[in-house]
Amino acid sequence: MEAPPVTMMPVTGGTINMMEYLLQGSVLDHSLESLIHRLRGLCDNMEPETFVDHELVFLLKGQQASPFVLRARRSLDRAGAPWHLRYLGQPEMGDKNRHALVRNCVDIATSENLTDFLMEMGFRMDHEFVARGHLFRKGIMKIVVYKIFRILVPGNTDNTEALSLSYLVELSVVAPAGQDMVSDDMRNFAEQLKPLVHLEKIDPKRLM
Amino acid sequence: MSELGPVCRQGLDGVSQMPVAEGKSVQQTVELLTRKLEMLGAEKQGTFCVDCETYHTAASTLGSQGQAGKLMYVMHNSEYPLSCFALFENGPCLVADTNFDVLMVKLKGFFQSAKASKIETRGTRYQYCDFLVKVGTVTMGPSARGISVEVEYGPCVVASDCWSLLLEFLQSFLGSHTPGAPAVFGNRHDAVYSPADTMVQYMELFNKIRKQQQVPVAGIR
Repeated sequence: MEAPPVTMMPVTGGTINMMEYLLQGSVLDHSLESLIHRLRGLCDNMEPETFVDHELVFLLKGQQASPFVLRARRSLDRAGAPWHLRYLGQPEMGDKNRHALVRNCVDIATSENLTDFLMEMGFRMDHEFVARGHLFRKGIMKIVVYKIFRILVPGNTDNTEALSLSYLVELSVVAPAGQDMVSDDMRNFAEQLKPLVHLEKIDPKRLM
Repeated sequence: MSELGPVCRQGLDGVSQMPVAEGKSVQQTVELLTRKLEMLGAEKQGTFCVDCETYHTAASTLGSQGQAGKLMYVMHNSEYPLSCFALFENGPCLVADTNFDVLMVKLKGFFQSAKASKIETRGTRYQYCDFLVKVGTVTMGPSARGISVEVEYGPCVVASDCWSLLLEFLQSFLGSHTPGAPAVFGNRHDAVYSPADTMVQYMELFNKIRKQQQVPVAGIR
């Protein structure tokens, strides 16, 4: 069961509804270097940051038509970092002028026994993958360029194979509900990355 | 003892219930205890609160998962204001940040909160050398149901090294009401203690109090 549309409700039950604004695109492997080079120039000056994450997607099936999805993510290269649990709501539809995909998101840092706990709650793992890539920031915008690896043996993150010959590029902002000017800033930034990569609003439902 | 900024304080905690004194109310028994502590030389250091909400799997989820409805407890402890603890009896205890409460709102189609069973304990913190003692009144809704006593021994994090010391200290002001070693230590006496172990003890205490009969209200003074 999904909560009612939260775009118009900045606060629900005493907590601020956070929304994720998202633009996505991809580049072929051989174009990666030029994209990284441009991003290094456009983004905030910081040490180039790479990451290797393992994400598990859990489903809770009820009598409702669509199961409840939760994403559990952990770092494979940073020892001691907490696990990250993420809930993403359905994309808010409607405003064609909005340049980015907008959906409610809840981010929670948790202890390491997250997967055991989710199973105890009744969730079952649907799929998992490893994401390996680069992270950039520009103000509140986060740009991630990463490659998805399929895990061949469940639970074994050492034995993986790349899913494609390309890198996924995501430009995202997490901001309180109602801040639609954020998507304008994102669109402006995305313009500067053309023609290396075309970032657009991709509705996940249309892909299914 | 003064705290400089966010200090990760971790000691060993023993949580127990103090039975209400014969012929006295919950409030009077709490006052007796706190007076004993003040006579010992303990210093008042603010207040504390531990609360617990109970969730059960909604009927709609039960059939497909094929498991008996489990109870999930979501607890908060003012000693760890940025955290939320979620646990199952005899199951794992998840330590998360307070956004977990927001997630529970999203999950309300799958997990229902038994509003009437929200239980909490509130009271004063007393510092006595390396011991931190918290005496709280346990309430469910408007009624006082019992007394909780938590003692934290700051310098040590391994149960087997200091449980007897903690017990001796507890005896000095709880007298014959001192409990045995909590089940949470089990056979992990040499493991490092963590805040989740404290929350498990509170959960067990709250469950025990929930099952007890209501404490009679004090006679009019």
